[in-house]
Amino acid sequence: MSALRLLSRTKLYWGLALIFLIGAMSSPVSSSGRNIFLSTGNLTDVLRQVSITGLVATGMTIVILIGGIDLSVGSVMAFATVVSAMLLTQAGWTGSALLGIPATTLVAFVAVAALIHFVFKGLARGKGVAIGHRADIRLDPMRGRILPIAGGLTVACLVIWFLSGQVSSKFGVIAVLMTAPCVGLVFGLISGVIIVGGRLQPFIVTLAMMVGALGSARLLAGQDSAVLPVYTGSNATEDFELLRSMAWGVIPVPGLFFIAAIVIFGSLLKFTAFGRYVFAIGGNEDAARLSGVDVVRVKLSAYAISGFLAGIAGVLFVAQYRQGKPDAGQGLELDAIAAVVIGGTSLMGGRGGLVGTLVGVLIFGLLSDILQLHNINSNLQLVLKGLIIVCTVLVQERNLGQVLAAFGLARTKGEVTGGTTGRAGQRTAALQQEGNGGNP
Amino acid sequence: MREFMKRREFLKLTSAAAIVTGAGATLILPAGFNPARAAAKWTVGFSQATTLEPWRVQFNKDIKKEAEKQPDVNLIITDGEDKTEKQVADVENLIRQEVKVLLISPKESAGLTGVVLKAIDAGIPVIVLDRNVDTDKYTQFIGGDNKLIGREAGKYAVELLGGAGKAKGNLVEIWGGMGTEPAHDRHDGFHEFTDKEAAIKNLLSEQSADWKQDKAYDIMTTALRNNEQIDLVYGHNDPMAYGAYLAAKDAGREKDIKFIGIDGLPDEGVTWVSKGELAATFLYATPGAEGLRQAVKLLNGEKIEKTIVLPTMKITKENAPEILKANGL
Repeated sequence: MSALRLLSRTKLYWGLALIFLIGAMSSPVSSSGRNIFLSTGNLTDVLRQVSITGLVATGMTIVILIGGIDLSVGSVMAFATVVSAMLLTQAGWTGSALLGIPATTLVAFVAVAALIHFVFKGLARGKGVAIGHRADIRLDPMRGRILPIAGGLTVACLVIWFLSGQVSSKFGVIAVLMTAPCVGLVFGLISGVIIVGGRLQPFIVTLAMMVGALGSARLLAGQDSAVLPVYTGSNATEDFELLRSMAWGVIPVPGLFFIAAIVIFGSLLKFTAFGRYVFAIGGNEDAARLSGVDVVRVKLSAYAISGFLAGIAGVLFVAQYRQGKPDAGQGLELDAIAAVVIGGTSLMGGRGGLVGTLVGVLIFGLLSDILQLHNINSNLQLVLKGLIIVCTVLVQERNLGQVLAAFGLARTKGEVTGGTTGRAGQRTAALQQEGNGGNP
Repeated sequence: MREFMKRREFLKLTSAAAIVTGAGATLILPAGFNPARAAAKWTVGFSQATTLEPWRVQFNKDIKKEAEKQPDVNLIITDGEDKTEKQVADVENLIRQEVKVLLISPKESAGLTGVVLKAIDAGIPVIVLDRNVDTDKYTQFIGGDNKLIGREAGKYAVELLGGAGKAKGNLVEIWGGMGTEPAHDRHDGFHEFTDKEAAIKNLLSEQSADWKQDKAYDIMTTALRNNEQIDLVYGHNDPMAYGAYLAAKDAGREKDIKFIGIDGLPDEGVTWVSKGELAATFLYATPGAEGLRQAVKLLNGEKIEKTIVLPTMKITKENAPEILKANGL
């Protein structure tokens, strides 16, 4: 690979480095002569500030990779903030408990059953049983059906027992961290089922879900409460503060959640069959289906993951800002989509990845921080952010020659020069995508 | 073929579910809607702009509480969901329901003037609450004066920073929505006093948190990194002042800073003031109760004034507990 090509492949990172450099060079200096931008406190603030958008953008990346879109994430997050705030501050069988406990139980059952099934399938494969889409049929019923169901039921019962125990008092941090994301997952799953079952456009289905979830959040919160305040120590348990503390005194806990999500789902996309299927479906859905990929299951999982991560974001929102409210996530879906696109994931699906999203989210966060440190007026900040989005995406998608050519200022040198990640290679068949998996 | 069947079944199922819920709703909703309707003498319509803000929630609470005291009144409240089009449709609907008086708290002036005129043409007296419309054909306007409240806040800020003539300190102001009139009025009134003091330094240029606690938290986090000395924070509403307080608390610097907010809702500003987290809040009273009282006066054939300005009140640690008690908190 030539040096130029390497430079072009990694231009996103150079963008991040450039923004970081601008921040560091132009940063105001404190009275003791320290560079404020580079102080650990400021950088951890940035990590914390981006972690909510980041978690949502992680789920959004997977959905966009399969060629879908999820506009409902903001409302689903808002719903999760209401659920968390109610569970934390109100004892007894409130609407949130009635909704959250069955949702968590269901998710626990399905997840554990699927996991056990998966493990046995893997073992069977190791013994030389036929590999392929229908391999599970050859499992004996004991390991194929009974054990997973039994395992799932056991865990589901444990979950019911644990959560019901919390109902009479108020929910603690662990119970909330279990419940709210599972509620989010169910919302995502519902969107997914409608998209797959009704064969509808994801745009319109998740738009409907965005409106519906907002309404549900308002109904759940009750007519007289636009905001549910959470005061740890007085109306909620103290252990919830854990979620806004600093791990080992340096890394904000919300940031840990974000990084963990990137690592887990990044490896899922990169190293597992599921990840390959995601890229395959995004590249060419029909080709993927004809190659035996279970398109329905992968699509459902993608929307479920997106809802799940929006749910976690909701819990973190409550911890950081001490309130749950139905209009919490307004505009969040657009921030997330912007970060995903800046990160080089194609809105058409099949091309991109989570490392790009991490960088996209960080670019956005650092930019806001720099503008804020320079005390730029809020209105001007919006204009600059809009400009930066356009510029970054231009740099991502085209090389300079192509841009100038579009305005008749220069001649096109051809796609290959400079190793552009342009559109030429984008439309190749899905299975070819498997080989390189798009961007990192 | 199987795929096709699946799809048909799915569609059948969803449409069946939709029909069942729809039918249920049409049966239950009108039946249980308002039993008082037949008994009451007057139907009064109230078009609210949105119910997603705590202040609006309190507004509705106030007007409902007052309506319960008036046996002759059957109050219908609509929610404009923060959209001009929705609120226009709401008002049109209320006109068709032939309400005796229309109370309206417009989302914005320009967009709702037309429909207010339509109501007046239909012979319905209109009482405009909180935000005015671009006509003077209405019967009455009731609202607070944001500039006046801003002045009160400015006066108190100067007092907290050392008194007129010798006040000194670094000031952080967190704006509400940049395009909104209340934010500008609250800014202008405040600065009539603080700008007179040469030693008060404004640290931020126009930074808007859009009335939201979470955005104010993020702005304050950066402001704290950037400025080693902050003496006073002025939030255009209480949630933003409180968001700034939380950011300072998480940075361990809340003790050095005074926080002033506006609105004085019992379960927000007043609670935070009584806990000592905010230094003061200034009441921006909701015109809910007063509006309904004036409507009843009008229906009883009395004459009412063209404009009523609701007074503000400084709420500090001294009088906060009383207010909380009066509101059952």
